[in-house]
Amino acid sequence: MEYFKSAFSSILDNKARSLLTMLGIIIGISSVITILAIGNGMKHTIGGELDELQSGGVTINIDAKKTDRYLTAEEVKQIGEQIPEAYGASPQISGYGQAKAKNDLSANITGGNETIIHSQTEKLADGRFFTESDVASASPVGVMTQSAAILLFRSMDAVGMTFDATINGITKTITVVGLIESDEESISDAWKSVSAGELWQYINVYTPHTLLTQGFSLPGENIQSFTVFPEPGKQDEVALKAKRLAENMLGLRGQKAVSIQSFASMLETFNKILNIATMVVTLIAAISLIVGGIGVMNIMTVSVTERTREIGIRKALGARTGSILIQFLFESALLTLIGGILGMIAGYGLTFIVSKFMNFPPKILLSDVALVVLISTSIGLFFGIYPAHRAAKMSPIEALRYE
Amino acid sequence: MSKLVEIINVSKIYNPGENEVRALDGVSLSIDKGEFVAIIGQSGSGKSTLMNILGCLDTPTAGIYRLHGMDVSHMSDNEQSDVRNMEIGFIFQGFNLIQSLTALENVELPLTYRGVAKKERLKLSKNALSRVGLANRMDHKPQEMSGGQQQRVAIARAIAQAPPILLADEPTGNLDSGSSREIIEIIKRLHSEGRTVILITHDPGIAAQAKRIITISDGKIKSDVINTAQEG
Ligand SMILES: Nc1ncnc2c1ncn2[C@@H]1O[C@H](COP(=O)(O)OP(=O)(O)OP(=O)(O)O)[C@@H](O)[C@H]1O
Ligand SMILES: [Mg+2]
Repeated sequence: MEYFKSAFSSILDNKARSLLTMLGIIIGISSVITILAIGNGMKHTIGGELDELQSGGVTINIDAKKTDRYLTAEEVKQIGEQIPEAYGASPQISGYGQAKAKNDLSANITGGNETIIHSQTEKLADGRFFTESDVASASPVGVMTQSAAILLFRSMDAVGMTFDATINGITKTITVVGLIESDEESISDAWKSVSAGELWQYINVYTPHTLLTQGFSLPGENIQSFTVFPEPGKQDEVALKAKRLAENMLGLRGQKAVSIQSFASMLETFNKILNIATMVVTLIAAISLIVGGIGVMNIMTVSVTERTREIGIRKALGARTGSILIQFLFESALLTLIGGILGMIAGYGLTFIVSKFMNFPPKILLSDVALVVLISTSIGLFFGIYPAHRAAKMSPIEALRYE
Repeated sequence: MSKLVEIINVSKIYNPGENEVRALDGVSLSIDKGEFVAIIGQSGSGKSTLMNILGCLDTPTAGIYRLHGMDVSHMSDNEQSDVRNMEIGFIFQGFNLIQSLTALENVELPLTYRGVAKKERLKLSKNALSRVGLANRMDHKPQEMSGGQQQRVAIARAIAQAPPILLADEPTGNLDSGSSREIIEIIKRLHSEGRTVILITHDPGIAAQAKRIITISDGKIKSDVINTAQEG
């Protein structure tokens, strides 16, 4: 490929200049890659977590600024029992800490009563969920997904196994009594993570809320937030009933102290924020890509002028307008393509660092790579048109005479 | 049979209007296949202008230029590119090699534009370089070579594709007398092998080596004589 060779050597002949020219493209592409990778990773992780945990759950909040009343665990349970269209209602306490068995992982430990199994839709694959009496006695038992078990125990046969959970410096040994079914993809992903030693995921564990409050001394005896689990399609109805019942129990009717918070709307908010962030970064990226493109056009114009004599020689030897045009277009496209690839590498480097801090796996999609190749070459082609056209249209005699 | 080169009443006028320059003024001449013609004249007489028109690098303001009986003075840019590529080998005073390419790559260039495949191209180019005595300098860049060597690369480039016409504009203008003699010898040899050579010079000594000498002055042909010394 003659054009490739000539373009490549001309870029290498001016390394420093080429690199400076590529800078805009590098910055633009690396920010596109970073935001895409972080966005994808975050959507995947957080979105997945919320989806998984809260698919049908509706959270009812009691506003601590408007009242100092609260519900007891028994009252929350009663609310669930009094709504025929609900599977139940449960306090929901979250403890973030470490889980340690074969592997050591970050863990998100969710405490609730026995109805919290309805916060997700998958079936139990093995063992049992914790029971009313487990809750009553604050038993150190837990339920997790099969993929979480793979990550923690390197085994799907984890019922009966124990792990040490540490929250706020308190460590307790918890026995796994049941496993929730995971789909094949997450199971194979989990195995991959285990064999690669990439254990940055959170695992989710359900335990009796009493274990968290009594065993780990987490606040939550006084319940100001709980979740009801409606039957499919009954979300709004159940939420409203739960809100009424809570207001009645607390004697807070009409005071707007009890409010409904659905996870669907939380997810929506999260997506909205992420989309705005994506838009802002995309805008910055677009600007730097345009600026970078103009830089490429500029440097290519300079290069064409510097090489006027070469162009004259090529034309004298029989180069057609088209082949000069292609030569320079090729050069500017190669310039931006290299810039794009460097930007991609920088972007993934950045993503890698950010994800280490933020505890989620970066997600590199093949479609993003294709996008980068496409965008960067198109910029080179587009901004190369003007200088390449100038080169191609030179009169051979004037170009040869140029000093 | 039509002439190889035939120009009829060709004029080239620069800056038409107030201070116009008639670089060529109604020049007519024809050259047959296999001739060795020297065009001689003082500086500014219009030699290079004539050469540019003969080489299809420039178009005449008025008049007709026929190459192989084909009117090339009104062709499109790309058609002219093709004519230059197929019909003409240029040898310039300033060598006009591309500095970033090796000797071999410079010689390959016109063959690339002709669409000759890589293998054939390499064979023809190496062959041409050997014929000018540079078989051992193929991978050198122009800066690494003497003026005489650079001009020989340029000659190799001009002959690699065996064009019918060799156009040389002051090919020895930038060379010392030793290298000049070498270059003229190579050009004479190429002529004796059957190529048509048009050599532009202001040096009567070099012109005397040709078989036909055309003298121009102020854009007009002053004389067009057979060089009897060389006919013998
Ligand atoms: N691009 C141009 N614009 C204006 N005038 C030109 C141009 N090119 C050549 N001329 C004029 O045309 C005349 C002929 O120029 P040309 O280059 O053909 O001369 P020459 O015989 O080759 O001279 P030399 O021996 O110095 O190379 C000169 O008077 C020159 O100034
Ligand atoms: Mg001249």
